[in-house]
Amino acid sequence: MGSETGPGDTRGTKRSVDYRFTLANERTFLAWIRTALAILAGAVAVLHLLPLDWAQVPRTAVGLVLAALAGVITVYAPLRWYRVQRIMSRGGPLKMSLLPVITTFAVGLVCALVLLGNLL
Amino acid sequence: MTPPAESPNGSSSEPPGGSSSGSSAEPSTDLDGLGLQPERTLLAWQRTIALMVVVGLLFLRGSLVPGDDNVPEAPLVLRVATMTVLLVLGLVLGVHLGLRWRGSEHGKRAPGTGGPPLHVARPWAMAVLCAGVLVLSGVLMLTVLLGF
Repeated sequence: MGSETGPGDTRGTKRSVDYRFTLANERTFLAWIRTALAILAGAVAVLHLLPLDWAQVPRTAVGLVLAALAGVITVYAPLRWYRVQRIMSRGGPLKMSLLPVITTFAVGLVCALVLLGNLL
Repeated sequence: MTPPAESPNGSSSEPPGGSSSGSSAEPSTDLDGLGLQPERTLLAWQRTIALMVVVGLLFLRGSLVPGDDNVPEAPLVLRVATMTVLLVLGLVLGVHLGLRWRGSEHGKRAPGTGGPPLHVARPWAMAVLCAGVLVLSGVLMLTVLLGF
């Protein structure tokens, strides 16, 4: 992992990957991390920062779901980066990632919680 | 290392490839050799590190209205410690990126290969960044769950 060319690129038989692809992969990883940080900022805001008139249970639930989602994204992002890196060095087709679906459903769940908490 | 036909990231800011200058004596990768892609990646790193520090500051700040404490708040010592960890990690990442950036002649020539670097930061820097975000997320969840 510590080599200059990264994983999957050190074997002699592997084809060399265009640097624009590896850099795009690196930026995608960073974009996911920024997404996790933004969600974490939302969790901090809900749990501590903002004076909200919510009951403790929905407030804690929303904050914990957001913080857990940020954790899941942070664990998944480097794995995804490594997987794409390996696929690129082998030359196979890229597989779809499950993370956008997970993120969408979790954010939708939080939206529903907030809406229900305010309506009921 | 031939340039691919399509944009690797699908964005519109991709510099036009070597097709327009194909007949000239300049190598077709000259436009890519300007260091735009490595620079974009470096800027993405800087944005990410800055955001990590900002979220840490939000956590350090605590409630905007004192006394609004129906969710248990982390003690000040823990918040300061978390912020210190994030600042140290940000500093390590910043120094690493700066050294690599200078070593690769501002993203134009990586030592060894002669071409632009395949990565702006080494993979361990990604692990360090993930560790910082996980620390923040873990501290936030644990303090709420354990009810400090």
